[in-house]
Amino acid sequence: MTVKMLVSIDLSENSLRAVDYVGAMLACHSDAEVTLLHVIKEPSPDILLDDAERHEQVEKLRVEMLALMEEAAKRLTSRGIVEKRVCLKIQACKSPVSVAELILAEQELGGYGTIVVGRRGMSKKEEFLFGSVSSKVVREARHCAVWVVE
Amino acid sequence: MQEEQIRARIKEFTRFPPQGKINIVQDTSQFMQIGVDDVMELEGEHYLVRGEEVEGRFGLDGEPKFWVKKAIDLRDGSAKVIKLEFYETFVMRIGDHEIKCFRSPKKESRILDKVRGDLRFMQGFTARDGAGNAVRILDKIQGRRFWDIINDLSGLDHKTYFERHFPGIFRNILICVEAIGALHEMGELHGDIRNDHIFIEHGTGAYRWIDFDYTYDWAESPFGVDLFGLGNVLLFTVGGGFHSIKDLSSCGPEGMRVASCVTPDDLSLFFKHRISNLKKLFTYIPESLNNVLLRFSHGAEVFYESSDELLEDLHGCLKDLPDIAPEENGAVVN
Repeated sequence: MTVKMLVSIDLSENSLRAVDYVGAMLACHSDAEVTLLHVIKEPSPDILLDDAERHEQVEKLRVEMLALMEEAAKRLTSRGIVEKRVCLKIQACKSPVSVAELILAEQELGGYGTIVVGRRGMSKKEEFLFGSVSSKVVREARHCAVWVVE
Repeated sequence: MQEEQIRARIKEFTRFPPQGKINIVQDTSQFMQIGVDDVMELEGEHYLVRGEEVEGRFGLDGEPKFWVKKAIDLRDGSAKVIKLEFYETFVMRIGDHEIKCFRSPKKESRILDKVRGDLRFMQGFTARDGAGNAVRILDKIQGRRFWDIINDLSGLDHKTYFERHFPGIFRNILICVEAIGALHEMGELHGDIRNDHIFIEHGTGAYRWIDFDYTYDWAESPFGVDLFGLGNVLLFTVGGGFHSIKDLSSCGPEGMRVASCVTPDDLSLFFKHRISNLKKLFTYIPESLNNVLLRFSHGAEVFYESSDELLEDLHGCLKDLPDIAPEENGAVVN
């Protein structure tokens, strides 16, 4: 059976650590399929009023993120994962969304057997106020494994 | 309206009409320069400025808010609060935690439209001035802040407060939480839930939320900031004020004995000296209600993620509360 993994990454160092971990674990599964997923949250129009400025900010993030994802993909292929089996996905969202819910929806849609998320090491207070993507993914994921990389 | 008509209306609605020439303001951009006795003209209607609102946080005299004018609507003499277009970004402190916060007139205008007719919220509308600024014209709520009402009752011992006043107050606070739930259902965040942002209207005794213009960057938990605020309101309501380790320690041997039983897990998650486990202080508080408070404490393992979850637990508390005292009839005397 093909190993299919969905790896959620952001601009943090932790994300690259998660990718390295996936690379190490899949070194003996050269036929594994890995999708790197990033969600760009467009600034709220309540905060950034100008449409053009908002669009510009999203595009800037997209370029930054793509460079990081390409770097992440290289790290995977250097471990022996076939290049064409590494897929990069960037989703830009206009309205407030739960990143965890998007990851879970993508997992279901793509039939991934494993979700990989990094954990940022939030404090209890931060988790209360802002919520934690990794905690929500762990709590709500069904029919798949979840790896949380610290 | 011509200046003479404006002057006549002012005379009709005020005891001290301006003597000299009336300054009619059509562009409100320079709000610092708009003062007492000026008249703002907004979409053809006229509003006489009576002064500025102050940041009356927790009963202290605060700074004047120059972008918020007290005014009289010269059509009918009704009192208005007029919020002029003003943006700012600042850091809000919650205990020792800091959050970047944005003032968004646009958000408040949108919420005013969405809650029109729902008297659990302040009411008003948005008008454009001559320069295109969005100006919020709000009906002044004649009443008192919830913070002040509870502080007025602080002379009572807690048991008397809890048995005589709390059941009625709690039912009103439940309506306030339901109102926030309705806002969340519409995809909106209140953004600044505080004990002094609930007004209790004279006459009707209705509890009403004010001030919706704070907003934040997106977070995984979109309503976390509101839930924090609701936890604080509930703790204040159940305790008839806040209770800290320091207060207990100053209450003589009995207070010090209780203080010695309070563990770090009993304290508020955000305010390190504030006690959340009120049952340790007041043993007659029902377990169901105390459990809600504990979900906001340092010892909590699971937090509320939605107002629905909180409301479900709060409704479950009703059966465990004392009956409403006949003289209270569910409302607070104000």
